[in-house]
Amino acid sequence: MTSDPVLVVEDLTMHYATRAGPVRAVDGVSFSVERGQSLGLVGESGCGKSSIAMTLLKLLPDNARLVSGSITLNGVDVVPLSENQMREHRWDRISMVFQAAMNSLDPVYRVGDQIIEALEAHSASAPRDAMERVRELFDLVSLDPSYIRRYPHEYSGGMRQRAIIAMALACEPDIIVADEPTTALDVIVQDHILREMQAIQRALNMSMIYISHDMAVIAEVCDVVGVMYAGKLVEFGPTAEVYARPIHPYTKALMSAFPSVRGEKHDLATLPGEPPDLLDPPSGCAFHPRCAYATDECRTSIPPTAKHGDQWATCWNPVADVDSE
Amino acid sequence: MAKYLLKRSAQILVTLFVFLTLVFFIVNAQPGDVSNFYALNPDVPPETRERLQDLFGVNEPLWKQYLVHIRNTFTGNFGVSFSHYPRSVADVIMERLPRTVVLFMTATALSFYLGFALGKVLAWRRGGWFEYTSTVGGVTLYTVFTPWFGLMMIWLFAFKAGWLPIGKFLDPVLWREAPIDANTVFNQMILTAFVVSIVVFAVFVITGQRRMGNARITRIASIVLASLAVVGVWFSSGTAVYAWDIVRHMVLPVVTLTLISFAGTMLLTRNSMLETMREDFVMAARAKGLTERAVRDKHVARNALLPVVTSFIFSLAFAVDGGVITESIFSWPGMGQTLVSATLTEDLPLAVGAFVFVGIFVLVAHLVADILYAYLDPRIRY
Repeated sequence: MTSDPVLVVEDLTMHYATRAGPVRAVDGVSFSVERGQSLGLVGESGCGKSSIAMTLLKLLPDNARLVSGSITLNGVDVVPLSENQMREHRWDRISMVFQAAMNSLDPVYRVGDQIIEALEAHSASAPRDAMERVRELFDLVSLDPSYIRRYPHEYSGGMRQRAIIAMALACEPDIIVADEPTTALDVIVQDHILREMQAIQRALNMSMIYISHDMAVIAEVCDVVGVMYAGKLVEFGPTAEVYARPIHPYTKALMSAFPSVRGEKHDLATLPGEPPDLLDPPSGCAFHPRCAYATDECRTSIPPTAKHGDQWATCWNPVADVDSE
Repeated sequence: MAKYLLKRSAQILVTLFVFLTLVFFIVNAQPGDVSNFYALNPDVPPETRERLQDLFGVNEPLWKQYLVHIRNTFTGNFGVSFSHYPRSVADVIMERLPRTVVLFMTATALSFYLGFALGKVLAWRRGGWFEYTSTVGGVTLYTVFTPWFGLMMIWLFAFKAGWLPIGKFLDPVLWREAPIDANTVFNQMILTAFVVSIVVFAVFVITGQRRMGNARITRIASIVLASLAVVGVWFSSGTAVYAWDIVRHMVLPVVTLTLISFAGTMLLTRNSMLETMREDFVMAARAKGLTERAVRDKHVARNALLPVVTSFIFSLAFAVDGGVITESIFSWPGMGQTLVSATLTEDLPLAVGAFVFVGIFVLVAHLVADILYAYLDPRIRY
């Protein structure tokens, strides 16, 4: 596979300034997404998944500081861009499917008009063309065109999510960040929408980043997966391999905490303890207080990121035996 | 919607009936009647006073007077004013009401426009000298003792600077030779304002719907052209100088009323905006690559508008009673002054009539608020 990265993130660090000191929400994260590839980011609540999503679009609250790193979108580093320059990239090159689909549509405007608004912000197309585009998009996400002129409150939860996806596709972005796109939906609708998103992504050869705490969702739709812990990417690799042979103890703990339908039955293991306080992360490897394999080395020094076959992991004591380089 | 309107109208009738009853008995609870006014007048002997009482029907039993009052009100007959005899109550109110409505509606509209515009900016840029000065300044004006502030404004701008007339509705010296009476001019002014606002509103609606790129230019042009047309028409009719005199008399009360009330709207808008800004659709609007201005005006302000509109409609409703204090300070012959003098002269029909007009206006304003709400928020359907 030839390398054609749409998005390259290098050493991204983002802090929230609080009265008690900086909260290290994203801490030295690096990854890249190829064209047409889908990347999954998993982790517990508060591990910095959503912060990464917001950082990629540079939609940060006032107290957030982009400390270091680069976000290269289609060859352009967007970190130094001004707000006005960034605005042209948003939605046009990188769009987003929000966590709270229920509330991501403005209740006082018709859904069609909200999509047209996004189109008009990025191209001076005639109103008729914009309407035509909205019809195409509704068709793409299997929404009835009669709903173009309806208001968000007239939509069901699943329909709203489809509308949000249609909106994200409006400007044909290179990459879509989907932050917990289906968490609020029931399982059946969730499954439908995930399959459709995957089909659309393949048909349009787009890249996707799925952010979820649900290992099953990631397993279903992602080519590569990144596991996050305490604002850091602790393991990264092709989904099949990471799931089959987790290297980082945290990934292994996550894997054994969710049931497999086809695999042999075993009691689900719960991971003891709480995710660390990002104001004051533990010394050394942030996972060591909850890690069954922790050694003195883990407590004192931060482990390096090492390659294990096709996978990368940040750990002193990898739990799977893959040839390290 | 039709069913809802019908239901609401029935409710309004019931409320109006209760209101009429209350007003009648409260106003009649004050001792004495119109003949007391002549009690110390040696030219009016007791027999004449008794005839006066018979003539105005104030000697009838109260329940009979009440039934007459209810019947008359529902047939649109508010009786004869005792103090403006032989003018009818409706005639007096029809002269005074437009003056109050125009003065207070202008002030209320300005105050809400200013408050909303400032509140928007305040919510958007928290911290800094702008927020500090407008909040402190606005709240100071909001809480200041109104009569004192009114008098200070008159002292400063009318007495010391001499830019504006000290009070009253018009300048009697100018009008002595006028070929036309003040009410006619004033009604023409209202008509002009009404036509102009309809035209400008229509232009705004049309440009808004067609999503024209140069909507701003068209809108400004429509306002400029309408203003030029107004000036042209008034000057060619030769009454412009009289209309201008009335406008000049309106300036001080309008500015004073605006200054003492805008802070309420400003803080309401600010809080409503801050609440709306936390919504996810605001983040989504930003993510879509909209300009900050578009996010603020099209999404946040539009959603934050609802509570402000409610407050606006209710302020308008209460504007009709004309702020007794403000009208007294500026000697503005409107509803407030009418109410005070009617009460002081025991002119019960006029007092009751004035109250009834205010009541009807408030009830209608509530209905308008409900309808407007359904228009502003598509989630509300009746």
